[in-house]
Amino acid sequence: MTILPSTTSPDRRPFGLVGLLPWLFAAVVVGYAMVVGGYAATVVSFALIYAVFVTGLNLFMGFAAQVSFGQNAFAAIGGYLSAVLTASHGWPPLPAMLLGIAAAVLVAAIVGFPTLRLKGHYLAMGTLAIGLITYEITVEWQSVTQGYMGISGIPPIGIGPYEVTSDRGQLILLSLVVAACAFAAARIRRSRFGRALSAVAGSEEAATALGIEVARYKLLAFLLSAGFAALAGSLFVHVVGFVSPEVFGLHMVIVTFTMLYVGGIGTVAGPLVGALIVSLLPETFRAFKDYQDLAYGAVLIVLLIYAPRGLASLFSPRGRS
Amino acid sequence: MMKQTFLAAGLAASLALAGALPANSQEPYKIGVSAGLTGYAATVDRAWRDGVELAAAALNAKGGVMGRKIQVVVEDNRSEPQEAVTVYRKMLSSDKVDVFVSGCVSAGNFAAAGLLQRAKVPMMLCSILPTQAEHLVWAFSTLPPAGFEVDKRLEYLKEKTQIRKIAVLHDPTPYANLQKSVAERNAAKFGLEVVSVDQYKQDDADLSVQISKARSAGAGAILKIGLGGTTLTAAKNIKQLGADMLLLTSLEDLAVFGPVAEVLGDKFFFVASPSQVYEALPEGALKAGIKSFLDPWREKFKDRDPNWASRGWDGVMLTAAAIEKAKSFEGEKVRAAYEELSGFQGTTGIYNFRPDLHQGITENPFVLATIEGGKVKVVQ
Repeated sequence: MTILPSTTSPDRRPFGLVGLLPWLFAAVVVGYAMVVGGYAATVVSFALIYAVFVTGLNLFMGFAAQVSFGQNAFAAIGGYLSAVLTASHGWPPLPAMLLGIAAAVLVAAIVGFPTLRLKGHYLAMGTLAIGLITYEITVEWQSVTQGYMGISGIPPIGIGPYEVTSDRGQLILLSLVVAACAFAAARIRRSRFGRALSAVAGSEEAATALGIEVARYKLLAFLLSAGFAALAGSLFVHVVGFVSPEVFGLHMVIVTFTMLYVGGIGTVAGPLVGALIVSLLPETFRAFKDYQDLAYGAVLIVLLIYAPRGLASLFSPRGRS
Repeated sequence: MMKQTFLAAGLAASLALAGALPANSQEPYKIGVSAGLTGYAATVDRAWRDGVELAAAALNAKGGVMGRKIQVVVEDNRSEPQEAVTVYRKMLSSDKVDVFVSGCVSAGNFAAAGLLQRAKVPMMLCSILPTQAEHLVWAFSTLPPAGFEVDKRLEYLKEKTQIRKIAVLHDPTPYANLQKSVAERNAAKFGLEVVSVDQYKQDDADLSVQISKARSAGAGAILKIGLGGTTLTAAKNIKQLGADMLLLTSLEDLAVFGPVAEVLGDKFFFVASPSQVYEALPEGALKAGIKSFLDPWREKFKDRDPNWASRGWDGVMLTAAAIEKAKSFEGEKVRAAYEELSGFQGTTGIYNFRPDLHQGITENPFVLATIEGGKVKVVQ
């Protein structure tokens, strides 16, 4: 008798050295940026920040198979709260970041409770509205956000007198944060919570029949995802030292979706691989000038043709089977 | 499958790493331009870039600056602050740019200002200046103060019309917001009252609500502040509503104004820079300054609007003057020399920089114009 892989259990087949290739790729890219510094370090730093965001998005979209076009709202809440508290009120960065994350999770709970009753296209539209509303608030609430003028003078991350200002210091810090996020995602995937999300992803009705509280698990995944997004937003403002509404606009939604699908939705390494590839590809083609977007788009299409489930899935047992 | 896997991984890794390779240092003096060649600032920043390149070519034709040729490195920041940080970083660390003469994406220039301060590289901007005091030290602007465009319109209304109540209609950009604040602050000085202030978005397809509100409040004229197609939208809405109001718009590409004048006729006025009304200017230093730019500009770009490009030209010429004054290409010395440039005749006016004044235009260079029979006519 053959036992088929369960849709509610994570794949526990050993994946060997091939499974380590995405991580090796990431390590090589980050290591190279650390050695070279400067421009490469800036590009990879942004990629790592996006990797945090996409890891959260993957929890909701990959693990739970839900759709959200509004995670940029939570990045904006985390980023702006951190920026305002540190630049305007003299808070140290770490408490400001924590409060930003807590506020984003709270807002996610308030809007998620009614919104997550929606399904499919309706959920997509509802979450898109959350992102658009937040964007408008960042533009219009000028007494707090400075509108399009943006907020300058945001201090770098640090504790007490120790601030992480160098390229390499920021890369090391961001690498540690990404590693912690990926570890957390891997643990979540294999946990009871992760298995419940997997069941919800397979069929909400079947999951309900198995005794899983679908609405509760969807909301929890949404809150976790919002927390990751807020962390990414906070990291961004402290690394760049500036924030304005465009940073968390619709562009962020498009870029992070691309990262998730190119990297591999539902995989643990996918968000990091996708974030690195999608951040580095446009820089690779920068010399093409007006044809940069054309070349970038063509390579994305090729990647998705040859790796339709994302690059990381090529290295996972489930993706190869 | 394994072959496909390694092929995809190899492709991804090689493309990724190739993009981050640093360039070798070059002999010429390098001017970096971070410009929004795509995105909302594309029209303005493409013209700015063309003006910078034209000025560099003109200087190179005369042997460059202090014996060094000028090389212009242009990168597209897509009108996004994050992208601006990336391209500034690229030009600093890979291209080894010596100075920046960057475009009008304010948020992008603000976001990168800290980088330039740490690298001790000065920047001459098309946009408004950063707000942080330590960033301001390294930033200079060719942009006339926001009040000049507003004051010229208020002056006209006071002196040439009976209108005493006005409305302000502006987009949400930083420069438009500054102008809006000036209008609210300065209107009383010209005996005018601002009875309505409304904001619109650059992609709004209808402004009749804001215009109706202004008319209800008794406004006889609308000061419109902002770029793009909304000027034509406002004009059409004024006509559709049958509102007896003047429309006075801010500085813009002349190509935008033709259709607006067809809709509103003699009820439409706009702020123009000296290079846009070159033929109407009296002989003098300003006209001669503009001519040095306008001749090669028209030779290359025919009747394309010269306004934004002329300030890009000024940015390069100011930089060349600072280098010659400092007798050095060193960033710190060029920065200090910018602060001492005074009485410099540019195409937009006379630049008078000081250590406490990094926005060099101190006298209002603008005129108010209208279009009559397809020709631009100066009215104030």
